[in-house]
Amino acid sequence: MRTKILLDENDLPRKWYNIQADLPRPLDPAYNPQTGQPIGPEDLAPIFAKELIRQEVSTDRYITIPDEVRDILTLWRPSPLYRAHRLEAALGTPAKIYYKYEGVSPPGSHKPNTAVAQAYYNMKDGIERIATETGAGQWGSALAFATQLFGMECTVYMVRGSYDQKPFRKMMMQCWGAECIASPSPLTNAGRAILERDPETSGSLGIAISEAVEDAASKSTTNYSLGSVLNHVCLHQSVIGLEAKEQLAMDEAEADIIIGCAGGGSNFAGLAFPFVREKLDGRRPDLEIIATEPTACPTLTKGLYAYDYGDVAGYTPIMKMFTLGHGFIPPSIHAGGLRYHGMAPLVSLLHQEGIIGSRAYHQNEVFEAAVRFARTEGIIVAPEAAHAVKAVIECADECTRTGEEKTIVFNCSGHGHFDLNSYEAYFSGALPDYEYPAELIAASLKDLPRV
Amino acid sequence: MKIGFLINPVAGMGGAVGLKGTDGQHARAMALGARPVAPAKAKAFCTALGPTLHTFLTAAGVMGGDILRSCGYDCETVYRPAAATTTRADTIAACEACRAAGARLLLFCGGDGTARDVFSVCDHDLPLLGIPAGVKMYSGVFATTPAAAAEIIRRLGEASCIDAEVLDVDEEAYRHNALSTTVYGIAATPALPGLRQASKWASDGSSEGRTQEEIARFIVDIMRPGTLYLLGAGSTTAAVTALLGLEGTLLGVDAVCDGRVVGQDLNEDGICALLERHPAAKIIVSPIGAQGFVLGRGNQQFSPAVLRRAGPENLIVIATPAKLSRTSSLYIDTGDDCLNAAFGTSIAVITGYAMAQRIPLKT
Repeated sequence: MRTKILLDENDLPRKWYNIQADLPRPLDPAYNPQTGQPIGPEDLAPIFAKELIRQEVSTDRYITIPDEVRDILTLWRPSPLYRAHRLEAALGTPAKIYYKYEGVSPPGSHKPNTAVAQAYYNMKDGIERIATETGAGQWGSALAFATQLFGMECTVYMVRGSYDQKPFRKMMMQCWGAECIASPSPLTNAGRAILERDPETSGSLGIAISEAVEDAASKSTTNYSLGSVLNHVCLHQSVIGLEAKEQLAMDEAEADIIIGCAGGGSNFAGLAFPFVREKLDGRRPDLEIIATEPTACPTLTKGLYAYDYGDVAGYTPIMKMFTLGHGFIPPSIHAGGLRYHGMAPLVSLLHQEGIIGSRAYHQNEVFEAAVRFARTEGIIVAPEAAHAVKAVIECADECTRTGEEKTIVFNCSGHGHFDLNSYEAYFSGALPDYEYPAELIAASLKDLPRV
Repeated sequence: MKIGFLINPVAGMGGAVGLKGTDGQHARAMALGARPVAPAKAKAFCTALGPTLHTFLTAAGVMGGDILRSCGYDCETVYRPAAATTTRADTIAACEACRAAGARLLLFCGGDGTARDVFSVCDHDLPLLGIPAGVKMYSGVFATTPAAAAEIIRRLGEASCIDAEVLDVDEEAYRHNALSTTVYGIAATPALPGLRQASKWASDGSSEGRTQEEIARFIVDIMRPGTLYLLGAGSTTAAVTALLGLEGTLLGVDAVCDGRVVGQDLNEDGICALLERHPAAKIIVSPIGAQGFVLGRGNQQFSPAVLRRAGPENLIVIATPAKLSRTSSLYIDTGDDCLNAAFGTSIAVITGYAMAQRIPLKT
């Protein structure tokens, strides 16, 4: 029985998979927040690299990964696919469970898959500095890691709740030469406006995005970089699913259920999209694809599919996506990377079309699943990835009840070595089970005028 | 073991009629149509207790003997009240008689006023335990429910005797919207994990006020035209009326509809009358301090009849995270087991703007 299914460095994918080529219908256009007109490349040029803008709208099925990017990715890629024999035995399930482990990257998560690519394209455009935001710190540390490889500076606006909870992520960014600032900060108009209203706010990803975009837009040699949500980010993460397909084939397995946690949607998309293609083209109509999220920020399970801003201040393009409203500030849950009011438009469209499903979980049941995983498979997962683990156990238990021998594949998107205070809170019984009072909000919306 | 067993037959009667306590208000409560509460709670205790090897010492008639005998217990009558309507003096005299007859524990059925009277005899050297039946039960000497009291008595050998505050509020001030709590002493009380309620924890103000405003802002934003909102007691619910620019009663039940106050300091009948006119209604309550009671303590105006009429699904619970952090579970004790069960095993508590916490619910 094989536990680790490994690919050779030469098997690292040479092209990214772009799901825009296979969507059931094109994405709805994004709009410029200032003009109200459909957004064009010229609207994005002040803050994004040219090639990233091209990738954002491309409908080419495959896009070549530059050799310089592949060279860096080989530091940790191809990542291992594990068969979770011990978890299966502990659950007593007939299901086969596999997980792609992205915690092997230097920053410890899937985020550098796109950080390296984004830093590379910005460097090619002569950009000297990148401003960005980070929730739990995974993205900030990944971009800090990537920019220093290309000799660039990096400023990270880190959501204050995580900044206070996770000092080690901040130190990682400093190790890689980046500047890490708690958001909201007094350095930007967006940050000052929020602090004026609520000086003790724990911040949110939406606020931090506003600050980073404002920073980038105000300096010609600075660009902005986003770690999730956007089409080109989902494109870069597709290496996860492309590798996983090869690795499953090596083990003569075929996925029946694909699971990933979804905050902005990129790690979920990275694993799922190469598999979604088989569902879209009719080869695997029964393939079940599940995005998991916290009940505290249930964007897919309770949100509306509507046009909304990607940030709090309204600087970003208005996109059609599942959203809880750009003004929504989720509670300070420990899965900081899942505290985002919106969702990637690509993931949103597939969810709206019924191609992917979603499930939401409370904090305590998520950590219970994570501890079970740690005690069987050994890996202490990040709180974000623990949401996927919870769904995996739920699906495996369903297989136990029905006797079905399904193959479950999930993305274990990062380790939780910098999240041990979250585990401590769980063990001490101090984790509140937050949830979004969707029914009350929906009832109040019934009286809104129809437009 | 000899256990003193006493019922304050008028305890709890002021609750449903909105009197916020029955001390000195028995006649008024009767005039307002109040019905006895304590005998039913005492009977629930006896039913839950079942056969026991303990010997009960009690007072005659409605103060204990009637219920004990009707439930099949042999008991020794150690005190007889002089008149049909009992008083504080009878409670104290009955406790003294139980103590003199060798009681090792005083079990009483009542509220904070009764606890004070019993404690005046027990002090710290004779343990006491309350079967909850009053309007207010801020003291730490009460079991969470009559059944929990029975469980403690059944497992007395396992129970630890712990210190608990005996508290009471100034009812006259309370009736005029002022919460003034006094600690009357530290009693010894038998306790098993999860079966004894904590003393009420009062909000410290400062950051609580800010969170209360945030909760109030959310509640006001989801209010719908034509819906009746019944707001229970406490500073968290009072923040809602304050945000609406309305004047409410801090410690009573107020009704709001379409931005106007349509009822103030309502009793059960007043609420029922409003529900007749407003079929769409929401009840908004905040749990009592660290005790965690959502219903059944301090807000008995929300009687089983009211709750059934409004529908359990229309209960909105609001509390600040700091308040919630002091209780691992919330409790519902409407006095009707079927209705208690209708609220489920957990409840969402609004703790901020568009934010809730899921808390286990016990009955």
